[in-house]
Amino acid sequence: MDSNVFTFLVGGKAGEGVKKAGSVAAHIFSSLGRHIFQMDDYMSLIRGGHNFSVVSTSPRWISSHYMKANLVVNFDKRSCETHMNNIAEKGIMVYNSDEQELEIGVGIPLTSEAEKYPMKNLMYGVGAVAILSAMIGFKKDQLNQIIRSEYPRGIEDNIRFANTIYDIVSPDCGAKFPLEKGDKKRSIIPGNVAISLGAIAGGLDVYYGYPMTPASTILHTLAREAENFGLAVVHAESEIAVINMAIGSAFTGAKSMVGTSGGGFALMTEGYSLAGITETPLLVILSQRPGPATGVPTYTEQADLAFALTAGHGDFLRIVASPRTVREAYYLTSEMLDLVWKFQTPGILLTEKHLSESSMTVEIDLEKSKWAEPKMHKDGDYKRYLDIHDGISPMLFPPSNQIIKWNSYEHDEFGITTENAEMISFMHDKRNKKLETLIEYLKGLETVKIIRGENPTNIFTYGSTYMSVLEALRYGRLNPTTIAPIYLSPLPTWELKEFKNQDNVVIEQSSTGQFTKLLEEKAGLKIRNTIKQYDGRPFDPIELSNKIKEVL
Amino acid sequence: MKDLKTYAEITWCPGCGNFGIFTSVRNAIPLLEEKGIKRDNIVITSGIGCHAKIFDYLNLSGFYGLHGRNCSNSEGIKIANPDLKVINFSGDANGLAEGLAHTMFAAKRNQDLTFILHNNSVYALTTGQFSPLAEKGWKGPSTPRGSYEEPFNPISLMIEAGATFVARGFAGDVKHLTDLMVQGVEHEGFAFIEVLQPAVPYHKWEEYREQIEYLEKEPDTYFEAMKAAKEKHKFTIGIFYRTTRPVYHKELYGEYNPIKKRLSKETRIEKIHKILESK
Repeated sequence: MDSNVFTFLVGGKAGEGVKKAGSVAAHIFSSLGRHIFQMDDYMSLIRGGHNFSVVSTSPRWISSHYMKANLVVNFDKRSCETHMNNIAEKGIMVYNSDEQELEIGVGIPLTSEAEKYPMKNLMYGVGAVAILSAMIGFKKDQLNQIIRSEYPRGIEDNIRFANTIYDIVSPDCGAKFPLEKGDKKRSIIPGNVAISLGAIAGGLDVYYGYPMTPASTILHTLAREAENFGLAVVHAESEIAVINMAIGSAFTGAKSMVGTSGGGFALMTEGYSLAGITETPLLVILSQRPGPATGVPTYTEQADLAFALTAGHGDFLRIVASPRTVREAYYLTSEMLDLVWKFQTPGILLTEKHLSESSMTVEIDLEKSKWAEPKMHKDGDYKRYLDIHDGISPMLFPPSNQIIKWNSYEHDEFGITTENAEMISFMHDKRNKKLETLIEYLKGLETVKIIRGENPTNIFTYGSTYMSVLEALRYGRLNPTTIAPIYLSPLPTWELKEFKNQDNVVIEQSSTGQFTKLLEEKAGLKIRNTIKQYDGRPFDPIELSNKIKEVL
Repeated sequence: MKDLKTYAEITWCPGCGNFGIFTSVRNAIPLLEEKGIKRDNIVITSGIGCHAKIFDYLNLSGFYGLHGRNCSNSEGIKIANPDLKVINFSGDANGLAEGLAHTMFAAKRNQDLTFILHNNSVYALTTGQFSPLAEKGWKGPSTPRGSYEEPFNPISLMIEAGATFVARGFAGDVKHLTDLMVQGVEHEGFAFIEVLQPAVPYHKWEEYREQIEYLEKEPDTYFEAMKAAKEKHKFTIGIFYRTTRPVYHKELYGEYNPIKKRLSKETRIEKIHKILESK
């Protein structure tokens, strides 16, 4: 184990403040100037069950949680059973001694101490924070300050309880894990907040959504910020309404975005195709969870890639890009919003639960955000679908003394329905021209991330799996060239030519290897092996590094 | 003054009730202009079906949407730019079959739109299948033994859903219909106007003309309106219900306008910086 990495895992029932304890821990680490990666594992229920939060931290950039934790705090018996194998070498497990007696670990009477307070169930999280604080050698006043700012409801009780737990832990385990300080304090945000802020920076005006994990927190974040930024944020009656409202808004020039997961996007595909023929700029955030159908709502997968690439009936230009990190999610969302407006076509920011809902320390250069700006009509008689050399018709929005007609039927340049044979092929050609224009434009952007290494085998990956791969390579001290396309449609084949006759391995989270197939079919790459994981869980860097070693 | 007709070839059947609706809209626009509603601010949407062809014929800006979905387009237009006056055309299948949920929710939200329901009680363009407003027993290609379903009562349905202006007109009385349209567009809130509109291959004008009756008095209360909607036969025309209730976009953001008052990139970046600082 990298001695600089420290991992804290806290587990308990839903409703006991597990996730909150994880996020408080993350803030404790970032206050020491360290980087963090927090992954929350929770079930699709409101109370009970088993949830856990893992926070890994290091003075250097860290791109994954580790499933071997130095400190495991379990609130109940089920958590102990679940996490027996998640204790790192020389790690400590803290268990609730009111529920069981164990030979190993440190027993703390969490329940009997918590029962002394009216908000009993909410005390467990506070207890976990106290245990962590004692073990990393925080002084009591540091702990109290944290409790004051993070658990403001019933402060005095929280502080008293935290101090009791701290005093139980300290004699044997105090300052067991002193943590080296990092260089500076950084913000911690989950992927969905990065996406929301990136969209706002890029010019977002309206957002429509229908709740669906793991995209719901985009709706929540934007609804919370609506007034602050002057946005209209609407929870509509269905995903079908959502996409059609967004398209209506785009018709007025509003930068519109929608967000959902696979099942919701399935309902949106009718409207996605509508955006194709009407040339509506529309950004869809598609955050994947395991499918098909309802699948596994609160877990992660990358099996909607093929769907995203071909969604919607008919021929039209689809832009699909997938961010690798939380930070990139911010930039890429603003860039995608700009692109869909530049090229007047729908696009998908494809991501996963693992990025949407995992939190990281980030440093974002806000000045690097893009700003969506369409090509506008200057003067003279207006034709919505005027064909010019690059296929991109200038835009104009109502109110206007010009007539602006957007049409879901095949149409002429003015926007009136046509069944004329020549006009039908003319319009197809007009829209298809945009692909070439787009490819030329993308050649000026970073569309593939390539990290050069020494090993003769290359590793291809994309989306949040890139983060798992990077951490695994660092852990295993492996050094292959790593290639991660950011754009998936159009696939930047111009960047991938050099790898054609080399030895390539793919790492992805799809049981049928959808990304592998994409690389084979579109880029003509030979893929020797694909490392897949499709159990709903993100890769663990230690396990993944062992798998990579086997194939290198 | 620009002509309200485009160059598009009109392909409704000769004698179609849609012509009456088309004429009424063209009559209503100048009247609305006289009342201070600018033509530039009027935007139309239609779904798919015979009703929808009006999109191509009217020289007005707008969005020709999907079958059943244009009500959502209309809502999106209004939410993004509340200065626009949206007239939403729909057939009875477009608005009450494929698009029922959207119509109901737009009424529930009291979206500030004018929803014109072309009621021909049949799927005309797709060769005469029974529609949500077709009589039980309608024999069409999909129900050769007659349909098994009772039609909706669109007036009581919309009052119940939350529409704040509910009326029925007749394509054969253009003056009356024009007046309903003007009042509907002027009304702040969800204005629903059902228009009895014979599709001539399937219905005769006489069936309608013989039965048309005018509602003698506009009901004053919700319960009177519901009573009239339920008790009067379906050829009764007039205004059934009118009330005031806050409109959706004002509940959402008051007197704001997301497009016109869009914050600059610089202001947004500044605010985002603050948010990140606090995280």
